Amino acid sequence: MSGEANGLHIDLEGALDADHIGDVGVPASAELLAFTNAVELGRGDIDQTRAALAAAIGAEATTEAAAIIAIFNGLVRVADGTGIQLDDGVFTASITDRESLDINRFAGAANSADLQPAPTMPTAVHQLFG
Amino acid sequence: MSSIDEAQRSATEAIASPGDWLTGAQRIAAWRETRAADTNELDQERRRALSPNAVSGSHAGTAELSAPAMEVVHRTASDPGRLTRSWAAEQIAAIGEETYTELIGVTAIVTVIDRFQRAMGRPELPLPTPAAGEPTQVRPDDVGDIGAWVSQTVGPTAANVSRTLSLVPVTNQAWRQLVDTHYSHGAEFMNMQWDFPLSRPQAELVATRSTALNECFY
Repeated sequence: MSGEANGLHIDLEGALDADHIGDVGVPASAELLAFTNAVELGRGDIDQTRAALAAAIGAEATTEAAAIIAIFNGLVRVADGTGIQLDDGVFTASITDRESLDINRFAGAANSADLQPAPTMPTAVHQLFG
Repeated sequence: MSSIDEAQRSATEAIASPGDWLTGAQRIAAWRETRAADTNELDQERRRALSPNAVSGSHAGTAELSAPAMEVVHRTASDPGRLTRSWAAEQIAAIGEETYTELIGVTAIVTVIDRFQRAMGRPELPLPTPAAGEPTQVRPDDVGDIGAWVSQTVGPTAANVSRTLSLVPVTNQAWRQLVDTHYSHGAEFMNMQWDFPLSRPQAELVATRSTALNECFY
């Protein structure tokens, strides 16, 4: 959503592919993805990737990236730990993307298994913006 | 001190204080166990297994946390993407949905604190000394079944994720303050072209990769 609002064409598949470190259509994609992977996967390259990211986007933005990684490690735990369902609008708008990006394979998909698409809603996120 | 550091300091203080149904000592014990999950043999064996249910074994209770409470903290800390409704129902039957929800919240909050320190290349914070006092033991009146595993605020909301911990208001307050300072920035959340050092698309890219690596469907 924010990509389209900013005139960017984002490679969602690349963003979701854990093995992909490269340009996905967002400025400094490669550095952002390398840093995120480093923190999440614990392979010992956090300092190196953080320095590379700071060189690309600055120290303040790098601190914000670290905060985003941190908070999403909390968000996944409250979402998965309390078993929330997808919100109705998101469920319907993301049908196509969830299938094409293979997100339905995640265990948490079971929590939204009984939701039904709203008949008048778009079935792909990009359709929300005309 | 940046707003992020200040929020982390405030959350640390909140965790050390009595919560909704847990004492400060129990909440700090949950923080200790969250850290232990990184290297705990049972947790790591479950993570490597095709299904966590294929691995036998259990976490023993401690002076502060019962065995089911230990299970909630360790599984939520180490393998959140593969939690199931039946697993949660088993733990809730043993400790109650309020305590279950508070443990989920505490585990999430301390994970945020520790993960930020790690990302910034800083050493782990020393565990704070628990504050004395009793939990509030208040169950809100406006919670009910909205399709999640635990009761949450009923009625319209911006997003289901914003009411995950509404059953435990003390813990929820600390949690939402972290979310606001680390990501959503209050009313700016609706602005797809916000004016922060990390642009909105850059923030969403990091969020997307992080949630994918954690196999979070929501």
